[in-house]
Amino acid sequence: MSETQIQVKDVSMVYTNNAGEKINALDSVSLDIKEGEFISLLGPSGCGKTTLLRIIADLLQPTDGEIIIDGQSPRDIRIKQEYGIVFQQPVLYDWRTVRRNICLPMEIMGVPKKERTSRIDEKLDLVGLKDFGKKYPFELSGGMQQRVGIARALALNPKYLLMDEPFSALDEFTREKLNEDLLEIWGKTKSTVIFVTHNIPESVFLSDRVIVLTPHPGKLAAVVDIDLPRPRRNELRDSPEFFEYVAKIRKCFQEVKM
Amino acid sequence: MMNKVKNILWPLLFGIAFLALWQMGYVHKVLDLKPFQLPVPLEIVQTLHANLPKAIKDCGVTLSGAFIGMMIGSAIGFMIAVIATIFPKWGYGGLIIITAFNAMPIVALSPIMNLYFSTGMAQKIGVVTIVCMAAMAMNAYSGLNTLKPYSMDLMHSVAAERWVIFKKLRLPNCMPNVFTAFKINVAASIIAAIISEYFATSTAGLGFGIKDNLRKAEMAMGWSYIVVASLAGVLIYIVILLLERNVIKWHASQR
Amino acid sequence: MTISKHERRLVTAVWLVGILAFWEIMAFILKYVVKSEMASVKLPFLHTIFITMFQNAGMLLEASAVTFSRALLGFAIGAVIGVVLAILMSLSKTLERIAFPYLIISQMIPVLGLAPIIFNIVRDMNLSRIIIAAYITFFPVSVNMLSGLKSVDQEKKELLYAIAASKFNVYRKLMLPYAMPYLFTGLKIAAPMAVTASILVDMLGSKSGIGVKMLYSLYSSSMDIFWASVITSAILGIVSYYLVINAEHFFLPWQSGKEGETA
Repeated sequence: MSETQIQVKDVSMVYTNNAGEKINALDSVSLDIKEGEFISLLGPSGCGKTTLLRIIADLLQPTDGEIIIDGQSPRDIRIKQEYGIVFQQPVLYDWRTVRRNICLPMEIMGVPKKERTSRIDEKLDLVGLKDFGKKYPFELSGGMQQRVGIARALALNPKYLLMDEPFSALDEFTREKLNEDLLEIWGKTKSTVIFVTHNIPESVFLSDRVIVLTPHPGKLAAVVDIDLPRPRRNELRDSPEFFEYVAKIRKCFQEVKM
Repeated sequence: MMNKVKNILWPLLFGIAFLALWQMGYVHKVLDLKPFQLPVPLEIVQTLHANLPKAIKDCGVTLSGAFIGMMIGSAIGFMIAVIATIFPKWGYGGLIIITAFNAMPIVALSPIMNLYFSTGMAQKIGVVTIVCMAAMAMNAYSGLNTLKPYSMDLMHSVAAERWVIFKKLRLPNCMPNVFTAFKINVAASIIAAIISEYFATSTAGLGFGIKDNLRKAEMAMGWSYIVVASLAGVLIYIVILLLERNVIKWHASQR
Repeated sequence: MTISKHERRLVTAVWLVGILAFWEIMAFILKYVVKSEMASVKLPFLHTIFITMFQNAGMLLEASAVTFSRALLGFAIGAVIGVVLAILMSLSKTLERIAFPYLIISQMIPVLGLAPIIFNIVRDMNLSRIIIAAYITFFPVSVNMLSGLKSVDQEKKELLYAIAASKFNVYRKLMLPYAMPYLFTGLKIAAPMAVTASILVDMLGSKSGIGVKMLYSLYSSSMDIFWASVITSAILGIVSYYLVINAEHFFLPWQSGKEGETA
């Protein structure tokens, strides 16, 4: 539990925009992530949190610095297919039913057919969509679609679960419900989770540690350990300790004066 | 329910009223035409009924040419789109050329095909093939490349190979566009086949029939050929709609 | 995938040169390798065609002007009718119910196939040329325009409704500008077709126009003139298409680069 698994070393990302100006999306960010940890990358838009996640996922190449995961590069991990990613949108393929959407990455990874079926059943049950396997994406609500996206990532039994603002498009009620569900699901897996969000209470509720990032340029401003007992339920949100953490993190942003 | 009835009833009533007015000679009055210039609907129907076997045979000649040409042209167009997707930089330039190709008048093609092919059928298929190529190439290309956000990232995150991405993402994603192209090509292929028959050495087909009957001043027969051609076009169009409904029932256009 | 504008132009230029070169090589093979006797008929050298076009520039331009001007007139009439019908259909649900099915069916009628019949009815070359060009233009224009008028967001309409804007103002300030990209999509489809229609009517027994040149030269076996007029008519079609595109860039500068919806 305590061993460093993902090392982010002085990672910088510089874009050149259409006007030819250089944009510092990430400025020399360093970070250690432990095995089995749930960490959040928190910050307003433009702070580079999604950029960092995409660099870890090998969907982007940093302009400077490197990332080492279990002694390997992100590319090695991707080729070994050890990532599960949940995106800002559900990213379901319209022409596949819920079951076949969950199945898609497993088809590509060559998981045997029998195993696929049992894993789909298991994960559908886990995200509470047991009776919706035969439906097409357009027949589901936004919240249900996002659950399918999560089930798809989980079905890979990923060592690393990367989540990019997965609940940002949902209403507050659905979001809180899915937060709770996510923790329950995570408790049953042993994945390391990196969770990107711009919602302070969400990051406090979910994480072991919150990484606070500030924009222009994207910089690591603070790391806040969340020592709240697990398992966490939504009642926790009303406790004074919870409010304290939220206030503390909010202060981090006020200090750097955005 | 009420709306559905209205949707059918209104156009139907209008159609019947128009045919009745045409039959009673009002269209001729408004446009100042003589009966021999524009036959009335009943006359067209009677002529068609009397010459049905011949009309169907001519229709079959034209339609089979149009259909074969459409299939070949669509297949080539699709292949062009695939190649342009595999080589994005050079393929895009090629597609711009295809767009320009699309703006070329069909009528200029017919005489050229006449030079290349000796039989009317081959010439017809040649013309239709070229006409159908561009619409399919452009539509399929946009379907293969206009992907929903992140759907490509999902593939990359599990290290999918190019071929797998093509098979599991691009190909199904372009199906709605392929059907759009087919719908465009149905009308275009029939028109192209008829026009090519105007200039061909053939002695059968709707185009030849229309030209021949007009030369012999048999207007009603010419019109009845137009009716048959339109009916055939509508019929093929409906078949494609039904196919579309089954194949891409997941798509927004089908709800 | 990002391709810069400069690169895109370069790629297109290379393609163009490549196709021209390919034509020359094929013509060469046909003539000197296959030794086809029909080589100069089936696929003459491109440069000889261009020389012919240059030598006969006056005649070809004159014929093109006749064909193109009739196509343009028909195109304009058809576009106006198409736009008006689309606006009327968006105003009246009943009218839409009546007209829309016929619009779809009219697409299935081989319109160009009607050319000889229309010529027989009006007995006037110029008039039938204009009628057919108009008929062919009107369909894609009205269908695309209508789909543009119908896809205006509800919120945008409600914004104007909330300040009690008159129907006239709603159309002038919102509906019509919104539908413009759709209109241009229709115009782009229609422009080459109007030219095609005009050439076809030429060929059905007109006395002037590029189609006549094409047919006469074919019958009199003056193949160089034939190929020159084929290329000229192809250029006419392409020019009409790019005229619409340029008009779109001029009138809708915010739309450039984006592809409109195709109905």
